[in-house]
Amino acid sequence: MTQQSQSSDYSIQTRLLISVSILLFIFLGLTGIVLDRAFVTSVEAGAADRLQVQVYVLLAAAEYDDDEFYFLEDFQEPRFGQLNSGLYGFIANSKSGEIWRSESANSLSLADDDFLRTPVSVGESLFSKTQNSEQEELFVVTYGILWENGISEYNFTVMETSTPYYSEISNFRTSLWAWLGGVAVLLLLIQLFLMRWGLSPLHKMARDLKQIESGDHGQLQGSYPKELRGVTDNLNLLIKSERKQQARYRTTLGDLAHSLKTPLAVIAGVMQQLTAGKDSDNVDTRKQLASVDEQLARMNQIVTYQLQRAVQANDSSALARRVNVAAVIRKILEALGKVYGDKAMQTTLDMNEQAVFLGDERDLLEIMGNVLDNAFKYGRSRISVSVQQSDSQSGKLNIKVTDDGDGTPGDKQEFVLQRGARADTLAQGQGIGLAVVTDIVASYSGEIAITNLDAGGACVEMVFDFPQTSI
Amino acid sequence: MRLLVVEDESLLRQQVEQGLTKEGYVVDAAEDGKTGLYYATEYDYDAAIIDLGLPEIDGISLIKKIRSTGKDFPVLILTARGDWQDKVAGLDAGADDYVVKPFQLEEIVARLNALLRRAAGFAKPKLEFGQLSLDISAKQLTLNEENIVLTAYEYKMLEYLMLHPGQVISKTELTEHLYAQDYDRDSNVLEVFVTRLRQKLDPDQKLKPIETVRGQGYRFVLTGA
Repeated sequence: MTQQSQSSDYSIQTRLLISVSILLFIFLGLTGIVLDRAFVTSVEAGAADRLQVQVYVLLAAAEYDDDEFYFLEDFQEPRFGQLNSGLYGFIANSKSGEIWRSESANSLSLADDDFLRTPVSVGESLFSKTQNSEQEELFVVTYGILWENGISEYNFTVMETSTPYYSEISNFRTSLWAWLGGVAVLLLLIQLFLMRWGLSPLHKMARDLKQIESGDHGQLQGSYPKELRGVTDNLNLLIKSERKQQARYRTTLGDLAHSLKTPLAVIAGVMQQLTAGKDSDNVDTRKQLASVDEQLARMNQIVTYQLQRAVQANDSSALARRVNVAAVIRKILEALGKVYGDKAMQTTLDMNEQAVFLGDERDLLEIMGNVLDNAFKYGRSRISVSVQQSDSQSGKLNIKVTDDGDGTPGDKQEFVLQRGARADTLAQGQGIGLAVVTDIVASYSGEIAITNLDAGGACVEMVFDFPQTSI
Repeated sequence: MRLLVVEDESLLRQQVEQGLTKEGYVVDAAEDGKTGLYYATEYDYDAAIIDLGLPEIDGISLIKKIRSTGKDFPVLILTARGDWQDKVAGLDAGADDYVVKPFQLEEIVARLNALLRRAAGFAKPKLEFGQLSLDISAKQLTLNEENIVLTAYEYKMLEYLMLHPGQVISKTELTEHLYAQDYDRDSNVLEVFVTRLRQKLDPDQKLKPIETVRGQGYRFVLTGA
């Protein structure tokens, strides 16, 4: 399967679902990223503010004398005095580097302490990050001061381990993505429901078209949204036009048959008179008359055959109707009972009364008329008709007609199904009946077979595999 | 036997009319459904041959209208289309058999004979009354299996009487069914035919097949086999 055909296999619903999913993914993803960044920034800003406060704590407690800083009171923040508390204070300047560190930083080893020498403008705070020797990240705030003497500039630096902050960020991230994921699923479900509702007119149209195809309805019914009304109105027009054309086609063919066959009947009558006349004693004249007679018979056969099968030129499944098989067979049996009144045939019926033929009633009449006519013609006293269907009102349709005549010779069974074939010369009729039946059955993609019964007689079996109607 | 032929194609109508007349039938011909309906309702026919494709009133409607008036004579339809929808529709409307164009006249005659015989209640091709047997197809009468020669009108009269066994047939009815409308008939000729038939059918005057019902007509009194 090519990529192009793969993509065309996706339904509208699938396409919309994929599109919405991609959009949701992008939108919620970007939203998540933005929110995450904002939170991280906020956390860091909060950390910076807290560290700034700690800088002021250091400043407030700091005393300077003799080129040395000392602290007379305990810090308001006790963690400065707790070893490895996570909060560390430093005093440094750009020339000497570190001058003082808090007790908590006594065993702290920084991976890089150059930032302590970085000059920071007086009154300015600089937020940065660094790592200790164990690669644990620390938030750093460095504040530049000018001491009371007005000469010396120092950096007051406070550091804090970032672990609690990142723990907070991690919790936030987990919560954020969980909620966003849940919202995505909920939105997708809502979208799915809305799409089904939105596309339901299309589903309705598909169901209606199936019902038209199976013959339950003649056209699209009910109301459709205005966007589809143009399509449905045009479809109904098309269906109407198609049916009118079929009817017109049949009428024209019928008129053509009448126009051709009546003159043929007149010519046949004249031929009969000529044959019976005095001039027909001449051998040559007889031959010529016989030749004309033969050609007349051929013309009639061709006209009859072509006109009877011409209505099958189109696809017979288009705009099919549901025809009750049992009702049609009963009509024909009643008619044939009149025509073959002398024979007093006994008819046995085993018919599924619900069986339907998905097609034109005329076609079923032609099929059953020809088959039953043969059965009455060649049968002695008994005919049986069986109609079975695998599923109620759809699915495989099996029709069997048997008679108690002489049967059809084995080498002729295929022959009689061919156009213009006659297995015997005694029977009346044109000999094309079963050939027409074969054509009609084939146009419905059905199968027909003639077999001989062990008890004597012939069996004509037809099978039509109609699609199951799924609505 | 009196027949009605309704066919719009004039040459074909003439051929059928002439052919049936030669076979001994009295034939009235109509060229459209309206005329056919008039004939069918005004006159008494033994059978009708009706084309389905007629102007004015189509064949099927004509048959329905004929049946609705209570006329139950057999109807043989002629159809050019030959499709089963038309055949079934015609038979359902009240016809009794069909012939598809083009046809041989012999086929029409054979089917007519069968229809007339069945309408009279006879299932077999021969009308059998004890020693008498009438083969309608061969137009041959046998008495104790010996052929009896009849003239055309003797045969027509006997056939009509034998197809209506036990019924009193008036002279008027016999006249209408044996002679064309414009035929110059002698009112006594029927009595002559009856006398001759009695002589040929019943030389020993034992069977007495034809009874004269005074003031009413004639009746074929033998019962069927």
